[in-house]
Amino acid sequence: MEDRPHKAHRPSKTDKKDKGKGKEKQHGFNEKAFAPKSGRRADRQGRRNVERDQQRLHVPLVNRTPDSEPPPVIVAIVGPPGVGKTTLLKSLVRRYTKQTLNDVKGPVTVVSAKKRRLTFIECNNNLNSMIDIGKIADLVLLMIDASFGLEMETFEFLNILQAHGFPKVIGVLTHLDLIKKADTLKATKKSLKKRFWTEIYQGAKLFYLSGVLNGRYPDTEILNLSRFISVMKFRPLVFRNSHPYLLADRIEDLTPREQVRLSKGKCDRTVTVYGYIRGTNLRMGTKVHIPGVGDMDMESVSILGDPCPLPDADSEKRRKLSEKKKLVIHAPMSDVGGVMYDKDAVWINVPGSFTRGNTDVPQGEGEQMVMDLQDAEATLEAGVAQSQIRLLGSSSKHLTVGTLDDDDDSDGSEDESGSEEEEDSGFDSDAISDGDNNTEDPVPSAQNTGRKSRRDVARTLPAASSSRIPPDADVEYYESDSDLGDGDESVDLGRRFEMEDGDAFEIPSDDPMDEAEEEEEEDDEDENADAPKWKRNLAEQAQALSSNSQRRKDWMKLIYSSDLTPEEVLSGKDDRLMTVDEEDDDNDEFFRLKTVSRRVEDEEEIDSSKVVSSEEDLKKWVGEEALDSIRTLFITGTARQEGGGQEEYEEMGSDFEDLEAGDAAAPSASKPIDAEALQAAALAAKKEELKRKFDEQYDDPEASKADFYTEKKDEISRQLQLNMEEFKDVSAEARALVEGFRPGAYVRIELVDVPCEMIEHFDPSFPIVVGGLLAAEERFGYVQVRLKRHRWYVKTLKTNDPLIFSLGWRRFQSVPIYSLDDHSIRMRMLKYTPEHMHCYATFYGPVSLPNTGFCAFNTLVADTPGFRVSATGVVLDVDRSVKIVKKIKLTGVPYKIFKNTAFVKDMFNSALEVAKFEGANIRTVSGIRGQVKKGLSKPDGAFRATFEDKVLMSDIIFLRAWYSIQPRKFYNPVTSLLLLDKSKWEGMRLTGQVRRDEGIKTPLSVNSTYKRIERPERRFNPLVIPKKLQAALPYASKPRIMKPQQRETYMQKRAVVMEPEERKAVALLQQIRALRKDQVARRKEKKSGKRAMHQKKLEAEEERKSEKVKERKKEVMRGIGKKSKREADVEEGRGPKRRKT
Amino acid sequence: MAQMGLVQFSGHQHLRLRLVLSILSGKAVRIDKIRPDDKNPGLRDFEISLLRLLEKVTNGTVIEISVTGTAFLLKPGIISGGPLTHDCPLSRSIGYFLEPIVMLAPFAKKSFQLTLRGITTDDQDLSADLFRTGTLPHLQLFGISDGLELRIKKRGAPPAGGGEVQFLCPIVKQVKTLNFVEPGKIKRIRGVAHAVRVNPQFSNRMIEASRSILNRYIPDIYLYSDVYKGEESGKSPGYALSLLAESTTSALYCAEAISQPGVAPEDIALRAARALLTEIEKGGCVDRQHQQLVLLMMVLGSEDVSRCRMGVPTPRTIQFLRDIRSFFGTSFKIVSADPSDEDCSQLLYSCYGTGYVNANRTVA
Repeated sequence: MEDRPHKAHRPSKTDKKDKGKGKEKQHGFNEKAFAPKSGRRADRQGRRNVERDQQRLHVPLVNRTPDSEPPPVIVAIVGPPGVGKTTLLKSLVRRYTKQTLNDVKGPVTVVSAKKRRLTFIECNNNLNSMIDIGKIADLVLLMIDASFGLEMETFEFLNILQAHGFPKVIGVLTHLDLIKKADTLKATKKSLKKRFWTEIYQGAKLFYLSGVLNGRYPDTEILNLSRFISVMKFRPLVFRNSHPYLLADRIEDLTPREQVRLSKGKCDRTVTVYGYIRGTNLRMGTKVHIPGVGDMDMESVSILGDPCPLPDADSEKRRKLSEKKKLVIHAPMSDVGGVMYDKDAVWINVPGSFTRGNTDVPQGEGEQMVMDLQDAEATLEAGVAQSQIRLLGSSSKHLTVGTLDDDDDSDGSEDESGSEEEEDSGFDSDAISDGDNNTEDPVPSAQNTGRKSRRDVARTLPAASSSRIPPDADVEYYESDSDLGDGDESVDLGRRFEMEDGDAFEIPSDDPMDEAEEEEEEDDEDENADAPKWKRNLAEQAQALSSNSQRRKDWMKLIYSSDLTPEEVLSGKDDRLMTVDEEDDDNDEFFRLKTVSRRVEDEEEIDSSKVVSSEEDLKKWVGEEALDSIRTLFITGTARQEGGGQEEYEEMGSDFEDLEAGDAAAPSASKPIDAEALQAAALAAKKEELKRKFDEQYDDPEASKADFYTEKKDEISRQLQLNMEEFKDVSAEARALVEGFRPGAYVRIELVDVPCEMIEHFDPSFPIVVGGLLAAEERFGYVQVRLKRHRWYVKTLKTNDPLIFSLGWRRFQSVPIYSLDDHSIRMRMLKYTPEHMHCYATFYGPVSLPNTGFCAFNTLVADTPGFRVSATGVVLDVDRSVKIVKKIKLTGVPYKIFKNTAFVKDMFNSALEVAKFEGANIRTVSGIRGQVKKGLSKPDGAFRATFEDKVLMSDIIFLRAWYSIQPRKFYNPVTSLLLLDKSKWEGMRLTGQVRRDEGIKTPLSVNSTYKRIERPERRFNPLVIPKKLQAALPYASKPRIMKPQQRETYMQKRAVVMEPEERKAVALLQQIRALRKDQVARRKEKKSGKRAMHQKKLEAEEERKSEKVKERKKEVMRGIGKKSKREADVEEGRGPKRRKT
Repeated sequence: MAQMGLVQFSGHQHLRLRLVLSILSGKAVRIDKIRPDDKNPGLRDFEISLLRLLEKVTNGTVIEISVTGTAFLLKPGIISGGPLTHDCPLSRSIGYFLEPIVMLAPFAKKSFQLTLRGITTDDQDLSADLFRTGTLPHLQLFGISDGLELRIKKRGAPPAGGGEVQFLCPIVKQVKTLNFVEPGKIKRIRGVAHAVRVNPQFSNRMIEASRSILNRYIPDIYLYSDVYKGEESGKSPGYALSLLAESTTSALYCAEAISQPGVAPEDIALRAARALLTEIEKGGCVDRQHQQLVLLMMVLGSEDVSRCRMGVPTPRTIQFLRDIRSFFGTSFKIVSADPSDEDCSQLLYSCYGTGYVNANRTVA
């Protein structure tokens, strides 16, 4: 191999002679070409550059995800149905792992580069899924059907993303092959790009995928896409950077089968979820929220071996990811990859048929092992029982094995199994799969059909849980009481193969760690579970402590994992004593007496943080040398007690106080060589430090005055460095205790009291997100948010109508009250949200930190027409009480009016009410202001009021008041994951909706009916001015009253006699007029006839036109029908509804 | 509504800090067996007063005290802050009430303007002077500084009191992460000697006496004589000396001594000075009085490692560390500050902050 000569380099294609020519042409940046032409221009250019530099900067954010072992990047593939999501996912997985997945379900994790893993997840067309995916996705591949255009779901999804921190989005256009014309294709691409850019940002990446080849997208296009994914950089999003979370890629039910059986599957389950921690450190003692299920306590968390590990150090040397590593894929819900690591077991999934003699399946070690196990003809017990051993050659009876009890047990179990076999024919395979009795059934049964059926069970776990209980597992469970705590050992998890963890598989055995953890956590609550282990452990530790001759205490252990009182800790009581104490605690009645006596002693102790030194302590300071002994602690002090070199050293480096070094040197004075060496080392370190400082200053004089941005960045990186280093040397369990589980770790979280529906109705195509909650977020209160109705949502939102919020991890329904700030005086309720404006909304629900974004929906069901995101906003404030007022107007009428005083009735019902409002401002409709003075005794609720002017009897008087209202305490989490049909979640309905659904008529109040308003004609009496007054009035003001004239006028009295010419003229005029009249009438008639004709003509024209339009419409509809039919054929009934924007 | 975590304790000890932790973490706390065997069982008047004060500074807190007074349940609300006044009983001084308030105040909804009336200086709790000069600078380590103030309006000596202080505290979004491992060397000593309703010469005498001890160490010693007259001097006579030593890295050590009947002011001063020397000798970056405050703020910091060097924990601190774990689930890593030195009694406390964010704060 070695002596074969290496292949010679290929000669470069460009000729060497050409190189000289190229110099003249000089490609790339030509500095001279871009030199400014004038000083002014240079100035402007310089300024612009500086501005651009500043624009590029972002607020420095701490990234909590470690750089060394980051969790996989979540790449979500989102789009409407039929757009090609699964095809893209398969293509990408094939690109990374060279495996073709047949049936993709749940997240799929692959290794994409040396430092990067990707988790692909496909998002179905359910709004709940879209919300959850939007909260966790790091990168979204937003798929758009180019032949159809953008759809409503896409816009809804983008709005959800916007509300929860915008992750990176890459658009992917598919179905481009359906557009045949090149011009149309170009135009479509352009218009879609434009629309996409306005939604995301100008210049957002958009990919074009042409048609499908062999069920995949073309390899070159996928390669390009994967390249873009691999160089993607992610900026931490604020919410995710402050919460731990996990996308569960696997979920198992650990509930004891017996319990499930007894409760007919209705009992609360114990469930483990598996996944990579993301965000911040996950710590015990906090709650988690699973959107769609609810808040839950974590029973335990344990780190598992990474199922999809990044390449380790040996392959690190290579620049590229090795081919071997490329094959790693982790997709438990899709059931590929074969081997699965649990806390204390390894599950091997055998591909292909599982019958013997089937040689076409590749047989690895695991498969071989399982095959061998099948070869065993009988159980060991049976073998022993059958073997006839005689103790003595002469004895006639052979030995029998097993006690009477055992026989009974096995009988019982056999019976049980028999009965179960009757009811369930598929039982055999179960029995095989159980790790403990895998040698039971030697006959390879026909039901063992290998992969297909097994995969089913892995997914539909709960189905297996209801009735198929391996009898022996049961028995074992009852017998071993010590295993009560971790039942997973005895629990059968579908038809998988369990192996005790051995060295053959590199499983990180977490057992000791877990125990230690438990021990520390539950130190005094329940030691019953594993008391003996506990004690043994402690005794060892105590021994270790005592053997360690040092007097130094292990403070952490003393404080956190011992039962000593603080005083005992300080006085240095031994650990050993403590264990004795604890034993007493368990079973001795005497201990109680002791505590009582101790408590009485403590009675004297007061709750005070002031440390009062006792007189004896203070007496120490009487002597001079005592006073001198602490001189070193002052800046003026020098180390006197040592003398010699130590002093010099101190004086020399007085700038650097080095207390520890001084102290360290003190005891080692007996060993002068050592001391000298130490000194030398210290001196060297000091010199080094000085040299470094000098170098820094010399090399980069600007470094000291770095700008704010770099300073902050440095600070952040320094802190991260410290975070990494501080707990480096601490053991794993202590580290988990102190700092929790780091992001990037693959963990198994055990959850208790999970509703059984989550398991029963589990569907891997709906993502399971486990979001950690901060301490504040576990609480409830009134949340005030700034809210704006979405401009695409067609209806307005009404106060006290239920709204579904997606806030933090949660999705819930609550009843908001909308309000506006009224001149900073009051928070005034609004009945409806204003148009194009923000308003406040207050609702009762789980607390979220201020500045958290949210979006709201009126309904989540799929068949809603129109845009479903009804509002978006941000949390402003969290409180336990709210002060929102609504305006209320009390009206009354005057019944007696004096000058400026009026008696008003009908406003209040009693004198008491009036008393409450004494001094309140009132007003008439006409704007006369007044005040409530005092209640009157006679008509109940009447009062005296004064006004600034005289009011009229017809005036209505009103009092404007403010009535404070509270939002209803209604919180209804969206438990969509618990439903069988996950898209059918229905929360609180509106009254109208309930009536409609129930067929109830709206009750009609008589007072609310609409009636014809009868308004009597108002009659105004004529103004009568008394004669006397008239007489007194000045002339100008006197009413001018004139009677109608009685006599005939002068003109009326005259008779007219015309001259003959005159008469003729008049007659002629009359005739002309008559003629004219006749002419006009005739013309009119004629015109109307013409008009009618014209009308008829128009109508005919119209009819012809409409006929044409109808024809054309018909044609179009026929085309659409054809297309939809074709599509339906392609999609096979997927997503029947599609909404065009 | 989700069931909130309930933490249970027995006994009246460490009551204040447990209440503080409960309010900060939002977990309800139930404390029982409060002096059950005492002649006078149940909560004392100052404890009741403290509960009332906490009810005042919070919104939505529910306190249920049993009939006998030997048990109570506190369901914490949110810390509201704002302008408030509270009359402290004469059985304990203002320091008793101020100490939990200082821990809560930075996380309130509105900045605190709390006026407390009662005894300003007594021998059980930190005096108002030490609060002003010692405790508040400790808060500054965590980025709580602008507008942080304690005004001593009137002094009140035991037994009759009559003092008044006003505590102003800003609110923060999140406290800064502490990294304080260099104790430095003492560079200056400050002090306040005050005397009310006694001969004003007393404070000068105290200053003289304490200087006789402290002068040998550093020249930078300023001891102020603070004399209040008339209305502002409270109802009872008394005098005290509080001392504060500051190191080059601004670590603070404080001590004080209070007048006692039949003891000369010089002896009081000597006692204060020696107490200060004791604190200095214990070393570390934080003195014993403020261990709990600093540890709490470290726990409440952002999700980073914070470190602090301190002396051996006091019994209260040990219990406090345990309580922190039951409320926040956070444990400290406690190791010797100098592993190479076997005699080093100082310890390095480091913890991973919980990332506590002031959720009560209003934006915009």
